[in-house]
Amino acid sequence: MAGDSLELMQGTLDVLILKSLSWGPLHGYAVAEVVRERSGEELKVEEGALYPALHRLEKRGLLEAEWGLSENNRRAKFYRLTSAGRAHLRAETQAWQRYVAAVSRVLEAA
Amino acid sequence: MRTPMRYPGFKRLLKLAVRPRAVEQDVDEELRFHLEMRAAAHEREGLSPTEARAAAEREFGDVASVREECVRIGHERERKMKRFLLWDALVQDVRYALRMLRHAPGFALVAVLTLGLGIGATTAIFSVVRGVLMRPLPFAEPERLVRMWQANPSQGVARGEVSPLDFADWKARQRSFEDMGTWWYVEGMSGSNLSGDGEPQRLPAAYVNDGFFSTLGVAPVLGRALLAGEHQPGHNAVAVISHGLWQRRFGGDRTLLGRTLTLDGLPITVVGVMPPGFSFPSERVDVWLSDSLIEESGIPRQRQVRWQSVVARLKPGVSLETARTEMNGVARQLAEEYPATNVQTSAVTVVPLHEAVTGDVRAGLMVLLGAVGFLLLIACVNVANLMLTRATARERELAVRAALGAGPVRLMGQLLTESLVLALLGGAFGLLLAVWGTELLLAFSVKQLPRLHEVRVDGAVLGFAMGATLFTGVLFGLLPALRAGSPQLAPVLKAAGRGTAGGGGARLRGALVVTEVALAVVLMAGAGLAVRSLMSLLSVEPGFRAEGAVVVSFSSSPAGRTSRQYLAEVLERVREVPGVQVAGTTRNLPLEGSGEPAPLVLPGQSQESAADAPRVNYLFVSNDYFRAMGIPLLRGRAFTTLDREGPPAMMVNDAFVRRFFPGEDVVGKAIQWGDATAPIVGVVGDVRQESLSEPAPPLVYVHVLQQSRSSVNLVVRGEGAPLQLAAAVRQAIWSVNPNQTITRITTLEEVVGGSVARPRLIAALLGLFAVLALVLGAVGIYGVLAYTVGQRQREIGVRLALGARPAEVLGMVLRNGMRLAGLGVALGVAGALVLSRVMSSILFGVAPHDPLTFGAVAVVLLGVALVACLVPARRAMRVDPAVSLRAE
Repeated sequence: MAGDSLELMQGTLDVLILKSLSWGPLHGYAVAEVVRERSGEELKVEEGALYPALHRLEKRGLLEAEWGLSENNRRAKFYRLTSAGRAHLRAETQAWQRYVAAVSRVLEAA
Repeated sequence: MRTPMRYPGFKRLLKLAVRPRAVEQDVDEELRFHLEMRAAAHEREGLSPTEARAAAEREFGDVASVREECVRIGHERERKMKRFLLWDALVQDVRYALRMLRHAPGFALVAVLTLGLGIGATTAIFSVVRGVLMRPLPFAEPERLVRMWQANPSQGVARGEVSPLDFADWKARQRSFEDMGTWWYVEGMSGSNLSGDGEPQRLPAAYVNDGFFSTLGVAPVLGRALLAGEHQPGHNAVAVISHGLWQRRFGGDRTLLGRTLTLDGLPITVVGVMPPGFSFPSERVDVWLSDSLIEESGIPRQRQVRWQSVVARLKPGVSLETARTEMNGVARQLAEEYPATNVQTSAVTVVPLHEAVTGDVRAGLMVLLGAVGFLLLIACVNVANLMLTRATARERELAVRAALGAGPVRLMGQLLTESLVLALLGGAFGLLLAVWGTELLLAFSVKQLPRLHEVRVDGAVLGFAMGATLFTGVLFGLLPALRAGSPQLAPVLKAAGRGTAGGGGARLRGALVVTEVALAVVLMAGAGLAVRSLMSLLSVEPGFRAEGAVVVSFSSSPAGRTSRQYLAEVLERVREVPGVQVAGTTRNLPLEGSGEPAPLVLPGQSQESAADAPRVNYLFVSNDYFRAMGIPLLRGRAFTTLDREGPPAMMVNDAFVRRFFPGEDVVGKAIQWGDATAPIVGVVGDVRQESLSEPAPPLVYVHVLQQSRSSVNLVVRGEGAPLQLAAAVRQAIWSVNPNQTITRITTLEEVVGGSVARPRLIAALLGLFAVLALVLGAVGIYGVLAYTVGQRQREIGVRLALGARPAEVLGMVLRNGMRLAGLGVALGVAGALVLSRVMSSILFGVAPHDPLTFGAVAVVLLGVALVACLVPARRAMRVDPAVSLRAE
């Protein structure tokens, strides 16, 4: 599995994190898992890059963090989207979709 | 219990108050959690715990560097948060303060008005003080400039002018000075009539030597200054003109240089234009001419003919003391070498130029600045009192906030913010008042102060206003804020809803009221002294009758028309004007200076001994001068037309007789006048010649037509409105010489008014400040008592219910208030007794400890305090016991 998973582009990770959190607060491990599962095991978040990304997003005010209890009753740091984060996600999603559509149009042209 | 106020951002602040866990700890725990979760997943896939752990770490990558990066970002985030929270807290505080003020518009209005008045008045006075006293003179290195006078210690003259011969010796023998300049200029006297180039115009002129401009270190912006030995008889004279004249009259025409103007009928070539703002020795001077023109006009070149004013520039590093010692040495040498003329002038007075220019207004301005500072303090105390009263009323709210976790620093910060917001609003209003007040002040005091054209609201003044604002903000914010910093939470919370006043607060407020009253007393005492001083000045008998006389001043052209005949002709025409009863002329009007001092030589004394002779002032007047002025003839006769042409006759005043011939009949005695012996024909009453505050000097009157003098004040007494009379007189003068420029038209009463303009200005301003202080003091007393009565309503109700008579309640409240007022008055009187001493130099005819003034001030303040107490006291008397008990 590790061998044929897709590499993430810089910036894409941020959007995926925001999207993962749009369904509710998660800790970092869960974010990685969610991305893997939802991508049909195609995308693998590089864990070493995940945490700096989370902290940067928190610093930018797109995320808020709070300590809570995990599903196995351990203390874990949960991240949650702020309203700024939600707006950012919307904007990035639209941009991403336009990008994908444009690239596709080029690639699919006979 | 009422709902507590909502504090936006409060929860966030509480969060900040909980000390956040160290960033490092957080990151470590977060990463450990991740690795453990991943390891657990691997274990579920069947790996051993050790293998699972190793796999998790392998997949993660470089844990240490990720940790480091996360920690770095975490720290950055914390710093950003802190900045944001601080700013946010400030914004919240300001918003909150503004909302509080909006909810208490009366309080806000009173506070802003009070502060605005205090700050505005202080700033306005400060701008004048700065312009007049503090700005350096607009010359190069002005601190090295000094003014020098010839002193005559034996006659008590410290500031005498210098003769050109003495000056030449001063200059040649000294080593302390780099450069020395001289000038001759007398306000309203030295001037030239510009003609031939448009409308004739009178130009105030200063006659200067070639060192004048170089000493001051100011060069012309156009052309050049006057050169040494430039003016030769028979050649055109040269002139340097002011920037103002250049713009006004010649529209800034650069080709003016080298052009020839006609001044007093003489051709004069313009060689230079001074820069704008150069205005020495007076802002009125428009033309600087070589002083050789004066000597040419017939002033004898003798050592005892002293008319030059001297300015000099100290060499770098030479002290004032060194220069003084040296110049006194020079004066002693000259006294030995020329005993006939210099034996008495054996000293030189050397004073920094700045002090010489501003000396006589310094005391008055400093008193005003001090007074206005007091006013600002009173305003601060008043607002502090208001704030304190509000803070006490808000004690419960503050206690609640403290209980919710807001630290003392936060609460003090909040209250200080409120004070500063108030102070800034007050400061903005004050600045408006200051700009406006400064203009008003300037408009009213143009003639009373030197250097007024340098007064403006500039950066320093703005800085001062800002400083005053912040100072007041902190000062009056401090007391309530300090108290809020340590509210005794438990008792206040317990009492919440019952509205009790803190006992400490009452004492503090009392102390503030006492302070305020004391400050007001000091201010009022100062104002009272100034007013009494002005009144005694105005009650001085000037020696002449001011009512109903008109003064028309002019300067007849020296070229050809100065003749005695011209003046005689003018006087004759004026007498023919319908309504004119009597008209006379004088060189020097009373209260405007004594004219020219000269040695009094009696027949038989040699001219050589003239230097030792006492000096008296000689005044040149016409026949009917005494009648026109209403100066009584005591003995002998007045001048007649015969004295004009015939042998000279003299008249003297009573002071002259008392000084030189006490108990003798002087009529018939003689004075040496030039080569002739002049009999004294009459004695007239004394006239305050210098000013109302100085006694009449001994005077000798000389018939004006014995001398050709260019400056004349025509005094006319007659029927009809003074200004109409003046217009007719002017027409009469023009009928003799249509080119005659009139330098001023005024009334004798205005001359008197002008002579007391400065004390009047000081008295008016101090009076204004005193009234403001009185009002503020009354507001302070009223505010505190009204508040106390409100707070004690329940207690008063109980007393009334228990049978106390309303009159007793009234008495209780009155006693309470009057005790504060009385204490304040006592302290204030004590303070004023000490402080009024600094005023002694500007007082006339009243002692700095004048009991009448102090008594009146005490009575007025106690009276006002009584009225301020009465309102709340009557309200207390009417408290309904039933209502206040039920409220319990």
